[in-house]
Amino acid sequence: MTVVASAQVETTLLVLKLAFLVLLYLFIWRIVRSAARDLRLPQESMILAPQQAAAAGLLPQPSARETGRLIVLASPTLGAGDAFTLDSHALTVGRGAANDVSLPEDEYSSTRHARLEPRRDGVWIEDIGSTNGTFVNGIRLTRERRLVPGDVIRIGETDLRFEP
Amino acid sequence: MGARALTLSYRNRELVYLAVVGVLTGIGFASVYIARQSLVSWGSLGYAVFFFALYIAAHLVARITVPDADPYLLPMAGLLTAVGVTEIYRLGVSDAFKQGLWIVVGVALFALALWGLRRDYRVLEQYKYLFGIGAIALLFLPRVPGIGTTVNGARLWVHFGNFTFQPGEFSKVFLIVFLAAYLREKRELLAQARLKDVGPLLVIWGACMLVLVSSNDLGSGLLYFGIFLAMLYIATARLSFVIAGIVLFLAGGVGAYEKIGHVHERVTIWLHPWTTQKVYCPPTGGLALRQDCESYQLVKSLYSIANGGFGGAGLGKGTFATTDGHQLIPFINSDFIYSALAQELGLVGAAALLLVFMLFAARGMKIALQADDGFSKLLAAGLTFGFALQTFIIVGGVLRIIPLTGITLPFVSYGGSSVVANFLLLAGLLLVSDRANATR
Repeated sequence: MTVVASAQVETTLLVLKLAFLVLLYLFIWRIVRSAARDLRLPQESMILAPQQAAAAGLLPQPSARETGRLIVLASPTLGAGDAFTLDSHALTVGRGAANDVSLPEDEYSSTRHARLEPRRDGVWIEDIGSTNGTFVNGIRLTRERRLVPGDVIRIGETDLRFEP
Repeated sequence: MGARALTLSYRNRELVYLAVVGVLTGIGFASVYIARQSLVSWGSLGYAVFFFALYIAAHLVARITVPDADPYLLPMAGLLTAVGVTEIYRLGVSDAFKQGLWIVVGVALFALALWGLRRDYRVLEQYKYLFGIGAIALLFLPRVPGIGTTVNGARLWVHFGNFTFQPGEFSKVFLIVFLAAYLREKRELLAQARLKDVGPLLVIWGACMLVLVSSNDLGSGLLYFGIFLAMLYIATARLSFVIAGIVLFLAGGVGAYEKIGHVHERVTIWLHPWTTQKVYCPPTGGLALRQDCESYQLVKSLYSIANGGFGGAGLGKGTFATTDGHQLIPFINSDFIYSALAQELGLVGAAALLLVFMLFAARGMKIALQADDGFSKLLAAGLTFGFALQTFIIVGGVLRIIPLTGITLPFVSYGGSSVVANFLLLAGLLLVSDRANATR
């Protein structure tokens, strides 16, 4: 421990203050620089409604990227063999007319039954509060799950097969 | 030097930045120590070494649990806690010791959260109502007789023996988790704006507001309202909700100004902190200049900022007490820490701190953009927005841009609950970021 003259203390403090501020700005500058680099990478939209995001040109070719298809195996309301194409948007299935896949005559399906959501790592299915449940290969969904090609989805009395 | 000249992995980059933060902590502590004792000693560096070790521990946990997470958030949080604890140490050594302990608790919970949720944090989504109810319960806790404590006119603290904490800080994080999960599930329905779907949200939100207004905690009320509105907007993309919310807020604000004395007082202090004639002074019941009465704290804080000037007095050299040792600004190390820092670091340093807050928020929003699923996006955006708005409310209040409401400056202010809750917030952002980068 050294007792130093007050002039020396003042000088030391000035040097420390300058060092502190310079280092602080250097730290900030480096982070800004790397953040600026990120800005040049293509960005996705926040959670906009799909149409809005598409209108703003934020989705890369919205429907061009096919992520899978749903083939109707059996249904009281759809014809067997009918196919629905999944693009990069989420798709809802249910009895209501507002769904992307609407099952008006399927008495066992709920108005809003299930949602299929394409993500980077594949297409995920999720039950959105149906009464009778959503089944994948006969197993009732308790949480969302990723579909693999060939999975059979049962919604009410409708069976759909997921294909890539 | 090309952009790719030095490509470090995310975690190595984090380590480099943490080392810089360690050096900054060392400089800060050393200069406070020298300014107070007129001594040059290596002993003061003990604190810096201690905090550096703590950051390294946090870094090692991050290395194992979230290897692909954003590398800048942890160093920025480390920098803010270091600057905060340095200033608290400068204002009072015993408080700094307590704050140091709370930072250890914060880092420990941060590590636990990362470890517990490292596989998939989205399990939180299944417990959304638990979080919603938890948020309200925590807000109600200080109202419970026997454990609730009133400090400075606001009943926000809970004590068990010698241990005191402010549950509102955790309630904020819980509410964000609840809103993220609930809004993701219901966002298509909410976008249609039917009362049936908006109902549960309004109930939870109304309960929060009721508690906050009745406990005189206006800063938190504003914060919760802002978080609620921002997350609703992010989930539904409906500007009409934001407009309706702002109209409601303005109506509520005018109503509160007319009816609630506390609010009226805050606005008066904000608009007219100085008077040239003596006015009625409610605390004493007599007549006094307003700057000697109600707005004493704010005015002294403004003088403190002005005293810093452009380059600042230097760490450890600011004036916070009268010559007979009386403290000038009450609550300087919690609500008013920004004005203490502004005096010692000057405009240059105070602006740098705001830049760090801004960058933290920018990284958080970037994480929300990168995240894959709706829950993660809403969680990251909500946590970031809460962090940014809280900073704005307190810094804006201290700088007299908006009426002053007592709330902590994230990571910087003295206060255990605040530090711990913000470390949990940081853990949440890192978890979302790790998942988004790993699936890329």
